Amino acid sequence: MSSMTKQAQQRVGVLQGTLDMLILRTLLYGPAHGHQIGKHIQRTTNEFLQMQHGSLYPALHRLEERGWVSAKWETAPDRNREFKYYRLTDKGKKQLLVEESQWKQMAEAVARVMWPAGEES
Amino acid sequence: MRSWQIGKRDADLERELNSDLELEEEEQRERGLLPEEARRAALRAFGNPTLIREQSHLAWGWGWLEDFLKDVAYGVRSLLRSPALTAVALLSLALGIGANTAIFSFLDAVLLRNLPVQEPSQLVLLGTGSWSGISDSWAATELYSYPFYRALQKNNLVFSQAASIFSMMLNVHGTVNGRDKTEPMNVQAVSGTYFPMLGVSALIGRTLTDDDDRTEGNHPVAVISYAWWTRSLARDPNVLSRKLKLGSTSFDIIGVAPQEFFGTQVGQAPDIWVPMSMISQVPPGWHSYSGQRDESLYVIGRLKPGVSLAQATANINLLFQQVWLSYRDEHVTQKDLADLQKTHVPLTSIANGLNALRDQFSQPLKILMALTGVVLLIACANIANLLLARSTARAREFAVRQALGAKRSRLVRQLLTESLVLAAAGGIFGIILAIFADHMLLHMVSTGTDTLPLDVSIHMRLLLFTLTVTVSTALLFGTLPALRATKLELTDALKDGRSSAGTGTKTPLANSLIITQVAFSLVLLAGAGLFVRSLMNLNNVDTGFNRENVLILNPDPSSIGYKDDEPRLNALYRQMEQRVAAVHGVTAASVASFTFHEGSWNGTVTIPGIDPAISSDVKHNVIGNDYFKAMQIPLLAGRTFEPQDTAASQKVAIISERFAKLYFPKSNPIGRTYHIGGPNSPWEMQIIGIAKDVKFQSLDENTTTLDYLAYSQRHQYIDDLVVRYNGDQTAVSTAVQRAIYSIDPNLPITHVYSLDEQVSGSIVQQRIVAQLSAFFGLLAVFLSCIGIYCLMSYMVSLRTNEIGIRMALGAPRSSVSWLVMRKILLLVGSGVAIGVPVTLVCSRLVSNMLFGIRATDAATVTGSVLGLLVVGLLAGWLPARRASRVNPMVALRYE
Repeated sequence: MSSMTKQAQQRVGVLQGTLDMLILRTLLYGPAHGHQIGKHIQRTTNEFLQMQHGSLYPALHRLEERGWVSAKWETAPDRNREFKYYRLTDKGKKQLLVEESQWKQMAEAVARVMWPAGEES
Repeated sequence: MRSWQIGKRDADLERELNSDLELEEEEQRERGLLPEEARRAALRAFGNPTLIREQSHLAWGWGWLEDFLKDVAYGVRSLLRSPALTAVALLSLALGIGANTAIFSFLDAVLLRNLPVQEPSQLVLLGTGSWSGISDSWAATELYSYPFYRALQKNNLVFSQAASIFSMMLNVHGTVNGRDKTEPMNVQAVSGTYFPMLGVSALIGRTLTDDDDRTEGNHPVAVISYAWWTRSLARDPNVLSRKLKLGSTSFDIIGVAPQEFFGTQVGQAPDIWVPMSMISQVPPGWHSYSGQRDESLYVIGRLKPGVSLAQATANINLLFQQVWLSYRDEHVTQKDLADLQKTHVPLTSIANGLNALRDQFSQPLKILMALTGVVLLIACANIANLLLARSTARAREFAVRQALGAKRSRLVRQLLTESLVLAAAGGIFGIILAIFADHMLLHMVSTGTDTLPLDVSIHMRLLLFTLTVTVSTALLFGTLPALRATKLELTDALKDGRSSAGTGTKTPLANSLIITQVAFSLVLLAGAGLFVRSLMNLNNVDTGFNRENVLILNPDPSSIGYKDDEPRLNALYRQMEQRVAAVHGVTAASVASFTFHEGSWNGTVTIPGIDPAISSDVKHNVIGNDYFKAMQIPLLAGRTFEPQDTAASQKVAIISERFAKLYFPKSNPIGRTYHIGGPNSPWEMQIIGIAKDVKFQSLDENTTTLDYLAYSQRHQYIDDLVVRYNGDQTAVSTAVQRAIYSIDPNLPITHVYSLDEQVSGSIVQQRIVAQLSAFFGLLAVFLSCIGIYCLMSYMVSLRTNEIGIRMALGAPRSSVSWLVMRKILLLVGSGVAIGVPVTLVCSRLVSNMLFGIRATDAATVTGSVLGLLVVGLLAGWLPARRASRVNPMVALRYE
């Protein structure tokens, strides 16, 4: 337990509501299975964002339920085993654009409060 | 989402997690970790797999479903743990729900269901539909002539369409072309507008149209019912090339009606519809197409959109007077005109059909529905009590679960799910039971040999009803125990189940449930008592004739070409009487228009010296010479008809005792004369005899004013051949039919039944009410006994300790039993105290259905009270005995 708390000081959990966007963005590179998605997010952020499997898989299933990603069991090219591959659907691509623009607005709004234009340091 | 889909998706998730977990493990190994460490590291990275699964389920939106299924499974398990309780609960629920469903299916078929036609709510009938037959009353408002229907159709402003139906079903023996045997057919004559007005189109071919009905006698076409097409023609696809012979006319079959269309009268299903224009060709050959005063039709109309019933009534009444005045002939008197001014035609909605059964069965069905509802309430109270007792026993379980953090709402939900499981199982058994009960009931209400054509099958609406009943019962019996069970003083309950004995013995809720049950049972039992005693009174009524050992046959000469008004008809009847009387075992045989409960021919008579205003309604019966002998009706004075009374001789009549007392109070009526109809009618009758009064239409009627006419002096169809016999009924019946066939092998005999069956059939409604209410009453008492037994057993088991102490301190066994019995007396006594006034109020509501007994009959109520007390004490006796046999040592060591 104690080690987990220590880790949490250095790493930030994925912000509520942004995980969907991150998954969709990851899948823009092409199909991937759950483990790859999690690893990719972690690696891209230099291990800054901690991926909890407990939220990753439910999120994937939620996206599948909404039709933003589709899933299929396929054999991995490097390992002789089947994995559940997720693919971005057309609906998912549109959703990604929506979430992206929402996130931008949000980030800009937050930035305007935090670093007002007149008070540049 | 179905449970198997959950399973499938769960397996998929499992596989996905496993494959990714293995991958993680491999990667850890590749990084140089030892296999076990790699495994552990992978598991750590993944976190709790159960949590992942649960959160995935939430993502799928299945959280509630999962909880529900878990609760169901848990509920089934915990119900199976107490099989006795579950069995009792299931049995009472199945009986309660089954009875409700069965009665409701009849209520629905007879009273509620709409006709399967277009916009049934727009359909109205002129009059109330309570008559059928032919009337010659002045300006009757129940039956109408065909010319009246045409005048109304042309001149009214309120109906978009109008149609008429001949009020009597024509029971014909017809032939399907190509066959040599006749078969019975129910033929209904309708106006050509009938099908178009209802908006019913044919399944095959076409229906009748107004063109088939414009001129008399030249449109021999028929539409057949789906049921008859199936039954008699084996669904021949070439049905439109088939023909039917009714009487001497061959009819083309032009169409088959849709399957769901059974006509417009609930409880009557015509096989064949013919246009009114053909009615005189269909036996027995009524001439009802042209006579202005031949009132034998029901007239129905479809209200124009936006026209209210009041507007329609006003317009139709205006029209009614105009048409009648146009029928004025020289016989119309000032009084007739005054009567016409006072006449009012009511319009009746026939959205759910013209209904002969409704009058007979609507009140009984409503009462039975109420009875079954009360039975179900008692069953609910019972189960609530059982669950209450059990929940007290489970107090510890709930305390532990609450202490471990279960929310109270979650526990309540789980208990309610258990109730729902119980109710659903009860509902399923109930429906199965209802299917059997429906068959049995249909058999009970069908008086003749044919089953009543009534659709009481299980259908959507019925299932919806049952579902509603089931869910509401579950809530009713489940809510209180669930709330009670979860409201706990945790520490008390956790310490020891036994220390909650204090709350167990003080159970005001359980007590009041028992009291309610007892009160309800008393109402049902007393009601059943009243109905059963009414039935007994009806069975013991003096009918005036001897109902035993009499056979009635209905020969049908009209189907083989005999016409009304033909002298050879009388010769045939004479020959039948003679041949049948000669059969071995037959002591008397006579034809008669009516015996008992077969309708009536009502007319007016004019008696010299009696004010015409009071000499109105008399019923006529046309009979043969041996009728009184065959029925064993005593002749009080004078003689019966004899061979010398012929068409040529003086017209003679025999009058009933009541007729004599009413119209000849002071003088001897023998030899006096009166007229049938007005004073100028050709029917001047001389009285030759007085017969003892008889019941004529029903057992509970007041004495009927009746006269008997000789068929030898009239020419008309006569329905019944009455045969008194000795010995075996079957043998005599066969021999009698053979004797009739020896006259003409083609003469059809429509029905053969006994007079006793006919009399019993007339009180079928009262018998059903008596039998069913007795059944429900006993059921209610039985359920209440179970309730008392369970509560007392439970009380005794909770107080074993206390009883042990009492006995150790020297209390005798009898005083221990008294402890239990006193409680029962208190409960039953309170129930009775509430039940008696309720019974007295309720029984008044059914007083018009009782015969020969007052609704507040003291003996019935007292008997019911005593009965309840006795069975209540019996139910409590076992637990009381168990209490008295408590071994003090065992009981004390138990603590």
